[in-house]
Amino acid sequence: MDHEAAQLEKQHVHDVYESTAPYFGDLQSKAWPRVRQFLQEQKPGSLIADIGCGTGKYLKVNSQVYALGCDYCGPLVEIARSRGCEVMVCDNLHLPFRDQGLDAIISIGVIHHFSTKQRRIRAIKEMARVLVPGGQLMIYVWAMEQKNRHFEKQDVLVPWNRALCSRLLSDPSQPGRKPCAHPERSHPYHPPCSVCSCSVCFKEQGHSQRSHSMDYEPLTAGTCCADISKEGEEENGFSNMLGKSFRSWFFSRSLDESTLRKQIERVRPLKNTEGWANSTVSIQPSRHSSLDLGRHQEPLSTREQSLDEDVFVEASQKQLEWPRAPAARKHLRGDQQGEVRRNGDGNFLEGANTSENSMNENDAEEGHPSASKTLRRISALDSTDSNSEETIPVEEQQPGILDSRAFMRYYHVFREGELYGLLKEHVAELHVLSSGNDHGNWCVIAEKKDNCD
Amino acid sequence: MKPLPHNLPSPHVRGVGPRGFPLRLQATEVRINPVEFNPDFVARMIPKVEWAALLEAADTLHLVEVPKGPIEGYEHDEKFLRQMHHVLLEVDVLEGTLQCPESGRLFPISRGIPNMLLSDEETET
Repeated sequence: MDHEAAQLEKQHVHDVYESTAPYFGDLQSKAWPRVRQFLQEQKPGSLIADIGCGTGKYLKVNSQVYALGCDYCGPLVEIARSRGCEVMVCDNLHLPFRDQGLDAIISIGVIHHFSTKQRRIRAIKEMARVLVPGGQLMIYVWAMEQKNRHFEKQDVLVPWNRALCSRLLSDPSQPGRKPCAHPERSHPYHPPCSVCSCSVCFKEQGHSQRSHSMDYEPLTAGTCCADISKEGEEENGFSNMLGKSFRSWFFSRSLDESTLRKQIERVRPLKNTEGWANSTVSIQPSRHSSLDLGRHQEPLSTREQSLDEDVFVEASQKQLEWPRAPAARKHLRGDQQGEVRRNGDGNFLEGANTSENSMNENDAEEGHPSASKTLRRISALDSTDSNSEETIPVEEQQPGILDSRAFMRYYHVFREGELYGLLKEHVAELHVLSSGNDHGNWCVIAEKKDNCD
Repeated sequence: MKPLPHNLPSPHVRGVGPRGFPLRLQATEVRINPVEFNPDFVARMIPKVEWAALLEAADTLHLVEVPKGPIEGYEHDEKFLRQMHHVLLEVDVLEGTLQCPESGRLFPISRGIPNMLLSDEETET
């Protein structure tokens, strides 16, 4: 089981980050304010580690502490290094530090990439091990409960559709586009255009209406897409896909939220000209209640309730089928956010032992039979998986809409109280000081107890 | 990679070495980067230094003028602090290795970044 978990993580975490790392070069994402605050509150002279530092955006927040960045992904670490950060490549599960060597640790958007509960616990315990007694650990993980999107399941694969990004954002008519950090790739429509451009564009489109104040509700990027629908417009599968991809970037890389929104808004005219928007799809005004965890809207029959590894697959046909299934559209919108396609190269946690994974037990789902046409659920253990494979070729017939080669990142999104519970029940060496929600993440600050290993 | 982080790594490989055992540093390429001197910052680093490991690294890197240990009143001893500042913050190993003294296992340092990933066999519990 652990091997399978590691394999899943390799494919849907490490390899994805490694492949997409080049596009982070230009990314100057903001640090979460509360994380900044945590870092700034550390005593001067503290030894701090950012485990899962990525490009190192937190490493220079506090110049009075000695900050070390660690990440599994070499290319990302190289970027951090190029910014003058002290970094190393290592594994959260095997931190190359002696016991009790560090004064504080941050783990921002990392633990949710571990695919089993056991590994998540191990990662947390490993960080606890290297903390001095009294040292603090801050953990941020993506929350299942989102204000403007709905995760059907806790274990999801989130795509980064780089083809989408490149085609959308490389429009030369877009004003104010900074040159891509990789000039040799500035040719539009060539795959490595992407997030590099995205981020640059995001940065520039500072939206003055939006502030980074944490009081602004809601601050998640999910809001961006919800706003689109609020504005009554073309909320269709495509813009959702786009929104999803960007949202996934937003959460994982803390893109500037205001610029993300602007970016999404800019995309709309583009997609019309590109013809991606299916003009035959009638747009229903959004029903936000459907996005707000409206259980009654949940699609998909109960027939697969017993299989915990289900991951929703967006059937490519949904674009065509929307007009036929207006009822389904609402929860399509709500449910597809965050959950997406397989990339066709294997079952999600094939052979996984369900009892070991803390995938959530299914909520009672009242299925809409019509929805089953439009959304296909793929179960790791379902013998009908071979049928679901058939969706992949169809997808490939719609290039740019559903890029089956999109990088899919695995996340275990956390329920409220889950992270806290994990620490409380399984990591006795840590004492939880505080917990809460920040920008769609569950966060916990814990302290290493004295007289522990 | 600077010597202070070097102080910290231990291989932590199950069955391969005891925890907390400092790694041996070897360097084939070292760079000296000037860093602004902040005496308070350096003073606070001193309690965290593993002196045996540091001295070994200093020796390997042919660093001179490295204090042998904390001296009385070091917090206010500018000379001491400047020397420590230099060795902890201005020396950067670009290419080299970190070696587990027990197993001999080598971890590469490349472009200033140590790679501490273990192989599958090493991580098997």
